[in-house]
Amino acid sequence: MENGRRLESRVLEERIQKAVAEGHRCLEVEAYGQHGIGGRLWRAGDVPVYMKINGSPGQRVGSMGFPNTQIEIMGPASDDVGWLNAGAEIIVHGHTTNGVANAMAQGKIYVAGNVGARAMTMTKYNPRFDPPELWVLGSVGDYFAEFMAGGIAVVCGHEAQDPDNVLGYRPCVGMVGGRIFFRGPHKGFSQVDAKLVPMSDEDWAWLVKNLQVFLEKIHRSHIFEQLSNRGQWQLLVARSPHEKATKPRRSVGTFRQEVWEKELGTGGLIGDLSDLDRSPIPVITTGDLRRFVPVWENRKYVPPCEANCPTGMPVHERWQLIREGRMDEAVDLALAYTPFPATVCGYLCPNLCMQGCTRQTANMVPVDVKELGKASLNAKLPELPALTGKRIAVIGGGPAGISVAWQLRQEGHEAVIFDMDKTLGGKITSVIPETRIPKEVVSAELERVRKALPHIHLQQHPTREDLEQLKVDYDFVVIAVGAQKPRILPVPGKERMIPALDFLRQSKQDQAQVGKRVVIIGAGNVGCDVATEAHRLGAEEITLIDVQQPASFGKEREEAERIGAKFRWPCFTKAVTKEGLELTTGEVIPADTVIISIGDQPDLDFLPETVATERGFIVVNDIYQTTDPQIFAIGDVVKLGLLTDAIGAGRKAAQAITDILAGKRPQSDTRRMIDYSRIKLEYFDPRLMQFDDIQACAEQCSSCGVCRDCGICVTICPQGAISKQEAGNGDFEMVVDPDRCIGCGFCAGACPCGIWSLVENEPLV
Amino acid sequence: MSSNGRIAPSTLSVKDLPWQIHWDKDRCSLCGRCTAVCPVHAIELGVHRQRLVETPVGLTEAPSNVYRVYYGIRQRTDPSYACVGCAMCTLVCPNDCIIPYRSDEADKLRYHINRGGQPRRRGGRRNVPGGVLDQIKFIRISMLTDPALDAGRHEFELRTLLGRVLPPEENMKLLHEEGWIPPVREIYPLMIGAMSFGALSPNMWEGLQMGVAYLNEELGMPVCICTGEGGCPPRLLRSRFLKYVILQIASGYFGWDEIIRAIPEMKEDPCAIEIKYGQGAKPGDGGLLMWYKVNKLIAAIRGVPPGVSLPSPPTHQTKYSIEESVAKMIQSMYMAWGFRVPVYPKISGTTTALAVLNNLTRNPYAAALAIDGEDGGTGAAYNVSMNHMGHPIASNIRDCYLNLVKLGMQNEIPLFAGGGVGKSGNLAANAAALIMLGASGVQIGKYIMQAAAGCVGSESDRCNICNIGLCPKGITSQDPRLDRRLDPEQVAERVVDVFLSFDTELKKIMAPLGRSTSLPIGMSDAIGINDQAAAERLQIRYVV
Repeated sequence: MENGRRLESRVLEERIQKAVAEGHRCLEVEAYGQHGIGGRLWRAGDVPVYMKINGSPGQRVGSMGFPNTQIEIMGPASDDVGWLNAGAEIIVHGHTTNGVANAMAQGKIYVAGNVGARAMTMTKYNPRFDPPELWVLGSVGDYFAEFMAGGIAVVCGHEAQDPDNVLGYRPCVGMVGGRIFFRGPHKGFSQVDAKLVPMSDEDWAWLVKNLQVFLEKIHRSHIFEQLSNRGQWQLLVARSPHEKATKPRRSVGTFRQEVWEKELGTGGLIGDLSDLDRSPIPVITTGDLRRFVPVWENRKYVPPCEANCPTGMPVHERWQLIREGRMDEAVDLALAYTPFPATVCGYLCPNLCMQGCTRQTANMVPVDVKELGKASLNAKLPELPALTGKRIAVIGGGPAGISVAWQLRQEGHEAVIFDMDKTLGGKITSVIPETRIPKEVVSAELERVRKALPHIHLQQHPTREDLEQLKVDYDFVVIAVGAQKPRILPVPGKERMIPALDFLRQSKQDQAQVGKRVVIIGAGNVGCDVATEAHRLGAEEITLIDVQQPASFGKEREEAERIGAKFRWPCFTKAVTKEGLELTTGEVIPADTVIISIGDQPDLDFLPETVATERGFIVVNDIYQTTDPQIFAIGDVVKLGLLTDAIGAGRKAAQAITDILAGKRPQSDTRRMIDYSRIKLEYFDPRLMQFDDIQACAEQCSSCGVCRDCGICVTICPQGAISKQEAGNGDFEMVVDPDRCIGCGFCAGACPCGIWSLVENEPLV
Repeated sequence: MSSNGRIAPSTLSVKDLPWQIHWDKDRCSLCGRCTAVCPVHAIELGVHRQRLVETPVGLTEAPSNVYRVYYGIRQRTDPSYACVGCAMCTLVCPNDCIIPYRSDEADKLRYHINRGGQPRRRGGRRNVPGGVLDQIKFIRISMLTDPALDAGRHEFELRTLLGRVLPPEENMKLLHEEGWIPPVREIYPLMIGAMSFGALSPNMWEGLQMGVAYLNEELGMPVCICTGEGGCPPRLLRSRFLKYVILQIASGYFGWDEIIRAIPEMKEDPCAIEIKYGQGAKPGDGGLLMWYKVNKLIAAIRGVPPGVSLPSPPTHQTKYSIEESVAKMIQSMYMAWGFRVPVYPKISGTTTALAVLNNLTRNPYAAALAIDGEDGGTGAAYNVSMNHMGHPIASNIRDCYLNLVKLGMQNEIPLFAGGGVGKSGNLAANAAALIMLGASGVQIGKYIMQAAAGCVGSESDRCNICNIGLCPKGITSQDPRLDRRLDPEQVAERVVDVFLSFDTELKKIMAPLGRSTSLPIGMSDAIGINDQAAAERLQIRYVV
């Protein structure tokens, strides 16, 4: 105040600065709400400046105060006392409002009363200087020490404004540094940021010493005794950054035990509904916890060679024996399946096994069964079992009849073949040209057959009565008479046509004759045989006609093409004249000889009524049983087919008969063929074009579906879980240790033979 | 493919698949973990033949062929075994040598996942990343104009109301007359939305519930969780934790007889009842829990015999009009708990939401309306429903809120928004945006699966096989071999982390608005968007 007028803050500030600059070191201000009185008195240098303030100072008394400055406010003070204080000592002889010591970095503030909200907030401690101090005789207001980053606050709690809470509401939020001594009750502080610590003797000594100073400054030394009771004081310090990271709360694990399961019961939410183990498991598991398990499916599926062979020859097994160095057994094995391993497998069969060979799926040369077949010529007749007393009559001594009898005899049953021919063999001996197979091979194999099978040579066609008698005399009758009746086209001049079978039969006996020009109706494989034979007999111009693209294939077709036979289609025959063959188009193909080769039909006149037929063939079920349960029928009499079809039918019929005789339900092999994709041909050389010998062949067989004991699974298993277990009888098994296996399927992925399969594990619930 | 293999129309190459497995032969140790862990058997051990043509320099000798066999990890191309990109192989690989990459072009597989005429079904979410919520910015930052708040320092009460709030005069009148005042819950504005026991694995479900209980009891955050349709374990029904649970009733009514029978033994009322009429992921479609997933446990909770298929039809059978559907159901559900529990319907985002809302405004019992937008997730749905059906949540919730404003009822019927909240990871921002557009709170599903259990699903069609029970993280599987990969305790821990961090983020958004105790519901002057059309549509500020 000056002359009853209030000086504005700027003018007062200018006056104070001027006075200090002029050398005044002791100032007295009659304040009237002016802002920021007493700060920034640096012009005095190191010389102390004392300022006494009477009246009512405005906000921010002593702000930006210098260390040389001591300010004594004789009454209360307003907001932000000592704001940004950089060293001044400020004594307030009354209360202060909000924000005391806000952002103070050095200096001391002594308050002889209570302070308002947000005192000691954002304070600093600069290591170059002593920490700032705030001394409060009474209590502090709300939000005390927010973001306090250093310095010391002392709250004496003497005649506190709120005697129940000397620290106010929510103190210490965001506090990161400094210490707070306080005396009296509090109602909590930010636990995250601050903590109560025991007061050390050193702390206490500091407090006692400076408390005396504080009380002197505010002229209250007389209450020192009252305030210096160590038991009444507590010390709060900021938590370190490390301590803040771990907020003090119950762990979820403890919560689960102490709260969750206590309320719900053991096992938690569904402990009452499930007794399954629900504890955590690793991602990669073994034993029951595997999602998938490997299965060694040895022989579960039929290899393609065996599945494609109508005879059902386990070709792969023969290769396996050869790989094991058991050549003789490999050869002999064939006789368990066919009486004609050399004749058929080695020469006459189109070898469906090779056509189906897995190697073909990768354009690789199939393992060559022909050589193995030829080697079987030396197969030794196995020792025949003693006769059981059961007798079966087989009508027809062709491949089908011989096959069924052969199999039955190996089962110990007596099978008697009734045939019109002098020698056994049917079409093999009578019609197949010798260019296709050396005579001695057939005779050798037939010789082997004759050793095992009795043969009754019939002088005339069997009659219905003969059959009825056979039914009486024998346990079963098998009809295997083949298809002997040639099919002839009902066209003019049909009498000029020579049936192919007649021609071939005569040709084999060198009784056939042909002209220079031969036309063959029907360009199938038999037609091709006819063409080849006609060529041998001197024909020069040979034409095969067909109503559609000829179905001939393999050796027969190759031979016919080699001798220069022409194939024509589609051609429809209108008539046969002495000029040749007239087509429906009017064209005449000149011919001296016309041979018809459009198939043959069975001669079934002798069948009893009980045996049903359809379109000229006998009807059978899947075990080749006719509608008369005592009569079976196999071979061309059922359906025209290959030699191997006839042999296979014989084998299956024999099995069925054996089963029935044993009182069992006839069983057929229900196994499916193995999926080609399971076989790994990558293990084999794709550039191999031919095999040096049988041994080389055996090595290239991928042994589909049948374990070749290569040990790859044992080696590839990352867990070492697979081992080979000997069964004792020479057999073995690959076994998996469930406690090692993780269900990766590597065994299945690597197995060359497609034995291993990875399947879903049994469900746990 | 073998050298003379054939192709069929659906024969695909690795290139045609959405995910390609990159495998590094040099680093692989052939440990078998990748093939053991792959949920869909997309990879297997392959046998490979390598050919080396050895030609001597100078041609001094005849060249020769040498073959050698090596083993490697091979990706299968059969559509049934196509890689789903979950990258579990990468996770378990000790040598970091295997990883699936997204194809560089649109896959061809999509044209073939309909064998036998069965269109593609899957779990997951709409395969469209991003959305309008992510574009919304909070543009009102008060430094001096409003009391500036500090998210870290100031106290916030992030709560919202679930229940019908009557106008004060009416409330006072009823209080005076001792009339019925609708029950109102004060809950946390972020809720865990409906995911059934069955859709989720037992460990996942328990983990979520445990986390919610922890938040309530240890941290004082009144978070609530909806059961989804699949009943509620009997123990939970009879525990005090039920008060944090919203029981859902839907068209299949599974487990409700168990719930009804538990009523006399309940220690606490449930938080609320949600009547599900629609779901954002598959609007207008129902669900079917296949018989093979209905094991003993699921069966017990749903109150059915094991091994039967459980259909939830798209619609409730006995309701023929909106008036009837809503009124009848709400009334019935209120009665079950003596009118002490709020009951509200949930619908999928739709242009008809306004009609439903208008109906609710006339029904004094309607406690709220929950809307599930097109970006909602599901355990199983047709791909077409998931990708193409439904209404975006932002405009749907906005329209509803503005409609309530028009009626002067914006503080009376709370709206809850769901469907894609946090789909790009921006949970708090999306939630705050929806709140400022008018939602009283938001529901999350996928987000919590991703954040609390490590779901690897994504909008790039990654994984998304929740429907076949093969969840590689054990989140949606009923197979203990998978389910037990998940530790409920750790899920609970993550739920707590998610809510605590959400809480901080939401405060960071709210503090500059000068709001600390009341949510800025409908405070649309605080948001803006860098898209004029969207701004106009949502009636918010366009900012560039």
